[in-house]
Amino acid sequence: MFVAGIDLGSATGKVVIMENDRVASTVVIRSTASPEKTAALAIEEAASKIGLKAVSDLEYIVGTGYGRSGVSFITENISEITCHAKGAHWLNPGIRTVIDVGGQDCKVISVNADGKVIEFAMNDKCAAGTGKFFEAMARTLDCSLDEFAALALRSGNPCSITKQCSVFAESEVITLINNGERQEDIAGGLIDSIVRRLLSMIYRVGAVPQVVLTGGCARNMALVKSLEVSLGIPVIRTKEDPQITGALGAALFAQAKALIQNK
Amino acid sequence: MNAQFKSTILQDFRKTAANPVNVSLQEWKKSGRKIIGCMYHYIPEEIITAAGMLPYRMKAVGSKGTELSESCFTQINCGFVRHLFDSGVRGELGFIDGLVSVNNCDHIRRFYENWQKKIKTPYMHFMPFPKKSGREQAEVYRKELADFKNSLEKHFNVQITDTKLKKAIELHNETRRLQRELYELRKKKNPPITGADVHAVMVASSSMPKEKYNTMLTGLLEELYTGEGISDYSERIMVVGGELDDPKFIEVIESQGCLVVADSLGYGYRAIAEDVDTDIEPLTALAEYHVLKRPACPRIFGTTFNRNDFVRHIAEEFKVDGVISVRLPLCDEWSFEQVNLIGYLKKHGIPHLTLDIDYILSSTGQIKTRSQAFLETISGTKHGR
Ligand code: SF4
Repeated sequence: MFVAGIDLGSATGKVVIMENDRVASTVVIRSTASPEKTAALAIEEAASKIGLKAVSDLEYIVGTGYGRSGVSFITENISEITCHAKGAHWLNPGIRTVIDVGGQDCKVISVNADGKVIEFAMNDKCAAGTGKFFEAMARTLDCSLDEFAALALRSGNPCSITKQCSVFAESEVITLINNGERQEDIAGGLIDSIVRRLLSMIYRVGAVPQVVLTGGCARNMALVKSLEVSLGIPVIRTKEDPQITGALGAALFAQAKALIQNK
Repeated sequence: MNAQFKSTILQDFRKTAANPVNVSLQEWKKSGRKIIGCMYHYIPEEIITAAGMLPYRMKAVGSKGTELSESCFTQINCGFVRHLFDSGVRGELGFIDGLVSVNNCDHIRRFYENWQKKIKTPYMHFMPFPKKSGREQAEVYRKELADFKNSLEKHFNVQITDTKLKKAIELHNETRRLQRELYELRKKKNPPITGADVHAVMVASSSMPKEKYNTMLTGLLEELYTGEGISDYSERIMVVGGELDDPKFIEVIESQGCLVVADSLGYGYRAIAEDVDTDIEPLTALAEYHVLKRPACPRIFGTTFNRNDFVRHIAEEFKVDGVISVRLPLCDEWSFEQVNLIGYLKKHGIPHLTLDIDYILSSTGQIKTRSQAFLETISGTKHGR
């Protein structure tokens, strides 16, 4: 029995196909302007990887992410908060705090021993502290996202950057460039500023170990390291790509629902 | 999730709540009668009714922006006063013949001063409202009410007799009684009306002549008694907050599958939980009602314990599964209240979510995600998801 979870984020669409409690296929693609199209493309790719004929071969599909409610072939949708908690718990049942930094928002979720959400905090509308922010700053520093993270990791003396709004931070960065600051230290400063923003949310919910970082930005090792230093506790690494945690959670719900349906 | 209604009463209420102006208000105006804008709780609307005028609770529903407010307010003023002032400058509230305000918060003070300078409504009156709830304060407020009454009489050349005041109080009490009847229906397992619709009914009462409103509400209640109940909902939710006048925000919460069955809102239960006394001198009764009797908002010192009890009491009475409290960003009164509520509800094991929402709802994706996740969290505890 195959089931799928689709996480339709603002920047990327993620699909996880599961078979009998095992991840069978995963895929991450860039989002198109239509969640329906992103979902179709992603699921097709994930299915063809394991020789399936897409939607008709899947028993149950759960959607999550901001595009979750508009897709015709999704059986049910569940919020990304619940899905990230579920996915993270499956990867490591010891996890009590999930910090999800995605394309346009970030969340801190406190999870109990059963993988259920106890409490959560979420940023407000603006994109500060999210993937969009990193993209804008990498553009200003004229480098790719990977280079941006690599630069920050090399910083010995991160600049102090106080603005968290992308527009204002950009002008702060331009001033720093003009003042002759090293690119590494500007990148390091930007990472630290984002971590400070995350901390305010983390403190609201509490940072109970074990802590995991999920979402696309979790691939940024400079962010992981800076967060570990600020929290004074390690951020655990999972065996699957942290970016697919939400889709994984959705797939786990799909699995449970399919079982009930087939009873 | 939508109850079916035979008549158009509910639609009329919805239309009234969704626009700053409505048909009954225009009719009122056409017949040469006056309208007085009220800012916002704690205004003894009965005095205005007794003067033969229509009390209109100031609102800026449908406002598109705050550009025209920007030069008059600072970055720390809340969206409500900015949108309202903007609508004022654009002339959209030009139908009011007077404006009366209490010093509910500093933002409203600033609003009043700016209005005085830039918009200049023919009649304006400001009533300092006590900061504390107590007998002495009620006496002081009684004097304010007398001043207000006198100034209305003088400016509009009317006479507000005690008999007229008593009649007005009875009329407004009747509105509150009918509204409480509406709330009673929400206690049912299958309430016959959604939370968004109830909110529209409540908001509509603030911009219509009370006689007409009471007749319409009586009609709606008759339909509701015989109508079908709503059963396709997941959780029962209570909403707590201040001056939220857009039923859409409740609609957004309910779009996630729950039913809002109770509230402690400025336009909601806090405004109708109690009646004004009809056995004592009218102005004293009105002062006591606002200072001592009605459930206070966080603006009044020393009322936190009562308010917490009030929320818990309603949560129990209406059998809610969780509480969502809403606040406009930059509203300091409700910021402190959020902190208080989080702690209080946690202590009593009542699930709680806080939402920051703009006065004019534009993007609703975030609210939906938060509400959905909150409901999933509750149903996780309820059904072991
Ligand atoms: S929303 Fe808050 S800040 Fe704004 S007017 Fe009301 S009480 Fe004052």
